[in-house]
Amino acid sequence: MAKYILRRIGFMLLTMLLVSIAIFLISEVAPGDVARHILGQFATPEQVELLRDQMGLDQSVVVRYLDWLVGNDWRLWRLVGKPLRYTQVGQYDSPSWYAVEPDGTLKQWRMKKGTGLVEIRFSPDGTREEVLFEDWKVAEDGSEIFWGVDTADHVVLWRKGEETQKVGPASAGRTMTEASGVEYYPLRKGLLRGDPGISLRTNKPVGPTLVRRLRNSFVLAGIAFVIIMPIALLLGILAGLKEGRAADRTISLFSLITTSVPEFASGVFLILLFAFWLKVLPGAAVFVSDVAPFMQPKLLILPVLTLTLVEVGYVTRMTRASMIEVMNAPYIRTAFLKGLPYWRIVFKHAVRNALMAPITVIMLHVNWLIGGIVVVESVFGYPGLGMYTLDSALFKDINAIEAGAMVMVALAVGTQLVADIIYTFLNPRIRYT
Amino acid sequence: MTVAADLEKSLGTGKRKWRRAWESVSVIFRSRVAVVGLSIVIFWVLVAIFAPLLAPHSPFAQDSAAINKPPNPTHPLGTDHLGRDILSRLIYGSRTILLLAPISVLCSVALGTLLGLIGGYYGGLIDEVVMRILDAIMAFPTILLYLIIISAIGPSAFNVVLAITFVGAPGIARLVRSLTLDIRVRDFVAAAKLRGDSNWRIMFVEILPNARGPLIIDAMLRVGYAIFAIGTLGFLGLGLPPPTPDWGGMINEARKYIWTNPLGVLWPAIAISSLVVGLNLFADGLREETTRYQ
Repeated sequence: MAKYILRRIGFMLLTMLLVSIAIFLISEVAPGDVARHILGQFATPEQVELLRDQMGLDQSVVVRYLDWLVGNDWRLWRLVGKPLRYTQVGQYDSPSWYAVEPDGTLKQWRMKKGTGLVEIRFSPDGTREEVLFEDWKVAEDGSEIFWGVDTADHVVLWRKGEETQKVGPASAGRTMTEASGVEYYPLRKGLLRGDPGISLRTNKPVGPTLVRRLRNSFVLAGIAFVIIMPIALLLGILAGLKEGRAADRTISLFSLITTSVPEFASGVFLILLFAFWLKVLPGAAVFVSDVAPFMQPKLLILPVLTLTLVEVGYVTRMTRASMIEVMNAPYIRTAFLKGLPYWRIVFKHAVRNALMAPITVIMLHVNWLIGGIVVVESVFGYPGLGMYTLDSALFKDINAIEAGAMVMVALAVGTQLVADIIYTFLNPRIRYT
Repeated sequence: MTVAADLEKSLGTGKRKWRRAWESVSVIFRSRVAVVGLSIVIFWVLVAIFAPLLAPHSPFAQDSAAINKPPNPTHPLGTDHLGRDILSRLIYGSRTILLLAPISVLCSVALGTLLGLIGGYYGGLIDEVVMRILDAIMAFPTILLYLIIISAIGPSAFNVVLAITFVGAPGIARLVRSLTLDIRVRDFVAAAKLRGDSNWRIMFVEILPNARGPLIIDAMLRVGYAIFAIGTLGFLGLGLPPPTPDWGGMINEARKYIWTNPLGVLWPAIAISSLVVGLNLFADGLREETTRYQ
């Protein structure tokens, strides 16, 4: 069993690796330039070229993939000649890359207008000072150069005499980055070391946003799950017991119809009914950022209801089929012939066995549920993982797509593994080897 | 002699085939649910076929004087945010979806069948590689695949078909593979091998026709999924490019104006829901009846 689980986890990691490579390749062959997309159509070719350079897009796709996966500071520190560290200096500063001196002083370099290249030093005792940089090295061709770390997480090659500030790329929400260097390598820690990178769309680290969005999606899915399960199991058991009668036909038809209606259509129906005509509920889930969705339960009602409508039918049908199968089993007939009371047979003998199949099938259903959540979040503008991935995909924000995809694949494959394990516990006849 | 026998045989089985086909078709009429479903589907198919006769306006004609108007005599279902007639767009939208869904299912059946036959027939390393790749694709949440493919290659009718083909093929490949594994050890395949038939001939002439039953049922069910998927893609803004009348896209465009023109989202939502519900009622009724009489 342990061997089986290990193999499955190995397969899951392999799948995630393949998926991440595939996404990188697909976005590579996709038409359109990300840098141009970020800067907008009024950017000059020089600005686009500069941003491409700063984003490392001039490097080969293999190098970029490996940088994304395992980071590149262990490779690039040789250029600077000092170890590089990703750390947070002030309490309110966002974490950034620094070159570390043996005495613990953190250093960055920056081009100051009218002064030239300055060195910013952060001593271990917390003082910050800026001094004019003079320590140029002589390159083979005689020019004076220096490899350093700038304030925006790049390893930069500066050349003396070419320090003039070029027109730096700037667009909505983006500060003008320094554009004084000759060559740029963006520093990354790599996904395997817990850093999914910077979102190209929002210019913020993907990690914290993703965690918040994932939490929101879990809240939505979790509440829906708590509502769906008892209703669906009850309806399914009832329909299974009354197979072919009016109750069964009504429940079956109802569940078939609610599952068939696409999420966006049922969402639209609910918005029109409750928000437009009855005016009892808000029609969109607009949250103040950072406020957990469960603080505003009213906004959650319609998204949860939409998800419930779509999913409840599926679980009901699964339970019904399983219940019918169990009720026709010989051991149930034996129980009847023994003269046991009806409800006792149903609850003690039938239901326990009948729920085994649906519970595992539902776990396998997560793949489908993720799709439903993406659509529901889009219908209501709910700030969850699905919305984040959708927006990122529309923007071609590769770092955010990759991170969102990794989470989704891990969830989908992981729940399948959990389903298999649960199944072995529920059904001791099955043994995986 | 062989020619005459063949002729007689084919004629005889031909007649019997027709009767059997009619018997299987008449199963539909035993189930009220299936009849209702089929009627809805036939309704939309007829609407799609006779769209030019039914539509009161062109689906692209804009009327700047009538923007987001409620139903009125000239526009029976009202107009959208560009003053286009919603009824005409709904009618032409049925063409889009009823054309794209079967095409994309056919493409995914073709691709999936090819991969499944190759994997199942040759076995060994080829099978292992093909199946591992397909497993990886299937582990992907479907919606993510759509998102990534369409956002990478851009929204267009061809790309929607491509995405649905790509997403649907692994499932079909698995089905065909398992059927092939079963069929390839039969005697008639051994006979074909002895006869010296090429591998391709054995795969497509000997094995494939014997796997058609489950394959056809699976393909029918997939038409419903495909419609669902095309609608969802349209809604997410990943479907057909704007001027094309497409139900999902119509909802996506109209939902910005939901507070001024609620009917603009309601009609396409009803249209796509009715089509998918109709297809599923039909499939489900058919399945119930066929299993009952087996």
